[in-house]
Amino acid sequence: MKKYDFIVVGSGCAGLAASLELLTKGHKVLMIEQHNIPGGAASGFVRGRFEFEPSLHELCSVGTPENPGDVLKMMDRFGVKVKWNQIKDCFRIISVYSDGSPMDVTLPAGKDAFIEKLNYYVPGCKDSIENMFALFDEVRRGLEYAGGDSYSVAVLMLKYLNLLKVGAQDCLTVFKALGMPQKAIDIISTYWSYLGVDMAHLSFPHYASMVSSYVTLGAAIPSHTSHEISVAMVERIRELGGDVIFNCRAEEFIFEDGKCKGVKTNLGEFRADCVLANINPDLIYGNMMDKSFVPEREKKLSAARNRNMSARMFTTYIGLNKSAEELGIKDYSIFISGTSDSVKEYESLKKIDTNNYEIFLCYNVDNPEASPEGTCICSFTTFYADGEEWSNVTDEEYYKLKTKIAKHFLDTLKEKAGLDLAPYIEEISIATPWTFARYLNTPEGCVYGYEASDWDNIIARSMSLKSDYADYDLGLLPIGAAGPRGDGYSSAYITGMIVAGIADKKYGKGGNN
Amino acid sequence: MSKKIKLQGLSMKNALDFKNLPLTRDEIINNTPLKEVDGKFAINENAKALHPDRQDLVILDIIDHCDAKTFVIGNADGKPVAYFRAGQYLSVSMKFEGSILTRPYSISSSPKWAKEGKYAVTIRRNPNGYAADKALDNFKVGDAVTVSAPEGNFYYEELRDAKDVIALAGGSGITPFLSMAYAIRDGIEDFNLTIIFGSRNYDSILFRDELDAIASECPKVKVVHVLSDEEKEGFEKGFITADIIKKYAPEGVYSIFMCGPEAMYRFADGEIAKLGLERKYVRKELQSVTKNVASLPGYPAEAEGKTFKCKLVRGEEVYEFDARSDEPVLVAIERAGIQAPSRCRCGECGWCRSKLLKGDVYIPESTDGRRWADKENGYIHPCASFPVSDLEIEVPGYYY
Repeated sequence: MKKYDFIVVGSGCAGLAASLELLTKGHKVLMIEQHNIPGGAASGFVRGRFEFEPSLHELCSVGTPENPGDVLKMMDRFGVKVKWNQIKDCFRIISVYSDGSPMDVTLPAGKDAFIEKLNYYVPGCKDSIENMFALFDEVRRGLEYAGGDSYSVAVLMLKYLNLLKVGAQDCLTVFKALGMPQKAIDIISTYWSYLGVDMAHLSFPHYASMVSSYVTLGAAIPSHTSHEISVAMVERIRELGGDVIFNCRAEEFIFEDGKCKGVKTNLGEFRADCVLANINPDLIYGNMMDKSFVPEREKKLSAARNRNMSARMFTTYIGLNKSAEELGIKDYSIFISGTSDSVKEYESLKKIDTNNYEIFLCYNVDNPEASPEGTCICSFTTFYADGEEWSNVTDEEYYKLKTKIAKHFLDTLKEKAGLDLAPYIEEISIATPWTFARYLNTPEGCVYGYEASDWDNIIARSMSLKSDYADYDLGLLPIGAAGPRGDGYSSAYITGMIVAGIADKKYGKGGNN
Repeated sequence: MSKKIKLQGLSMKNALDFKNLPLTRDEIINNTPLKEVDGKFAINENAKALHPDRQDLVILDIIDHCDAKTFVIGNADGKPVAYFRAGQYLSVSMKFEGSILTRPYSISSSPKWAKEGKYAVTIRRNPNGYAADKALDNFKVGDAVTVSAPEGNFYYEELRDAKDVIALAGGSGITPFLSMAYAIRDGIEDFNLTIIFGSRNYDSILFRDELDAIASECPKVKVVHVLSDEEKEGFEKGFITADIIKKYAPEGVYSIFMCGPEAMYRFADGEIAKLGLERKYVRKELQSVTKNVASLPGYPAEAEGKTFKCKLVRGEEVYEFDARSDEPVLVAIERAGIQAPSRCRCGECGWCRSKLLKGDVYIPESTDGRRWADKENGYIHPCASFPVSDLEIEVPGYYY
């Protein structure tokens, strides 16, 4: 039997990046995937004449060849080519300001344009917003510096004093410290849902890294769904000598002398020196191995997280038989919500009946190749901040419920954005937390891993790499949205690379194994 | 130097919070009482029950029709089988004479039956086929049978389809519509269904009594029989034409759902074109892959009548076998007795998605359901790809 240096279980964004990282370091790698396509949520599906994007709204940290972001740099380093389309506007939001007045604003990408426009909507907010961007910049550079192998406290004090002050703060605290007017806070809170944590519990540096990337670098999408990205990465894995097997599901991790030495699958056993699992830790430790080998700290970490899963997704995908222009769709993304107060909104997302939050997208606005001429593809997404109701739905109620919810959001779009799309639906597919649980097998169909809030925010996680990863000698390392960088494509790619780096040092050739 | 930014209320005291982030986190983790990790989540269990990898069932009953049989398959103890939407199919796994194969069959029973632990599927004799006749001649009550979860997208969707659905059925293509009719009768689906059902003659009408019974008790379901080979009072004569559809269609907007053999689709396509319906109002169930690939435009003439060598790999498994040019690659794999995944067998679902490593295939456009990046990167759906040279392919694993 062929023996591998590393097996990567799961070809989600983290699994793909980890496989490429290990291959570029010269290891023999096998990547197995339970589904028949790669990518996890980063894939695509065909209905009639449409190919739908299942999950990606906008990928941050891509940038342009002249000014590449981390994702583009990673793709270049791995030799992966994807055709990107830049998203012109950051977002349009239709909501209600904290003072009860209606909000309908559109913010363009690009820092200067963004600040100008925000100052137009909220006169007098300019200084605080400029300071926020200056803070973003210092936080980003400071974390880069502090994330290196060695750093000095003196340098941090001298160069990154503001990072030290805001590094452990939530977003609302920092906005207030910047003296930002409430209306500006209402508007710039919009991105909170991309991280699944309301602004009172979201780490400011986490928010800063995403928003500064979205606004200053702009966001991008591939021309032909995320399947294009994931397949390009798989092809590169093959070129670099990696083996890939689809429809191959890890059932149990094999332990010898307390160390993971491979995995049992529906196609038999595969062996390696170390396994990286693109699987939520609760599933790894709860279902897939002899519990006597689960480290005590992992049991406590799981207990402390207390199954606080993040973002149980609900998305309706529609293929329309008219073009975006014909339908009067001008915006790539519209955030529609009942309140701009993210704390209240988060509460409302716990129940099906109170959830009035949707993110509407029309891919064709910024990607002419999204669908055939004379048609367009749209989606509207929400998520649930609690799994209880979806746990108690019966299969007989299920189909009616998903149609009812999709109809509610379609009606809301008509009422609030004036877009009447129902008569033009040629193809429709409705994905619920059950659907995501089916295809991804993430706990409760969540796509963000554990909620990255309060003590378990990504800054705290990133500063705990030693105790979360390096101190163990289990030969089994979890990767994915539950990892140090949290949710999102770019975060998962980076987590995959970080953990692959740790695994290489520990178990790769020349390591201490 | 750090830029001077006024941060009201934040001081060096907060810098300590930052430095202590990992310590605070460790403290919270360490102070949490030790507990075994619980990896079971109700939503995941629900999803698994609705979409199992496979269902191992038994044949509970067999009902004879003239040239067809209905197989009632399910759990002997009445435990529910995976619920479904009327119109979906099961991919049935079979083994005959060293071949391992699957066939998709529409479920003909009400979704209500699934809660009682059973499905009905109907298989009609097919003189040009292989699996249908084998199944009809070999399957007995009590036999074990492995099927997929309910699959497919051929069902009524209220946000897309018109409230009035005209179903065009040919032969055993009646089965998904029978299930829809039951579902309407049972209050599971809510739309108006007019089934226009083409049969050869009165005696060969499948489920005639069942359809009449539903129509008589449920005003939302109507049935119109069209007989090609027999003149009979109260029945339409000939094929399903645009005129017949217009005669039974409502005034306003309506959807057409079609299920039947390839010949029926070819004829119906021409007739439907005369009706001037928007594309969204015409839906077809699993259009089968062509039986006559060599007649299609762009087919390389030199491949006709040939048999090619095919090498198949999956992990460390390697197989070599012959592949006829007039059959999809999947059929060659099955003839060689190799287990590989397949479901719809008409290019649509992509479950058999494989990587073409060497050689060329011909893929008829009408049944090419691949994703864009798959076309660009040499992935094929073997169920809808015909070999035109020696091949080397890499196939995925399987769950049934």
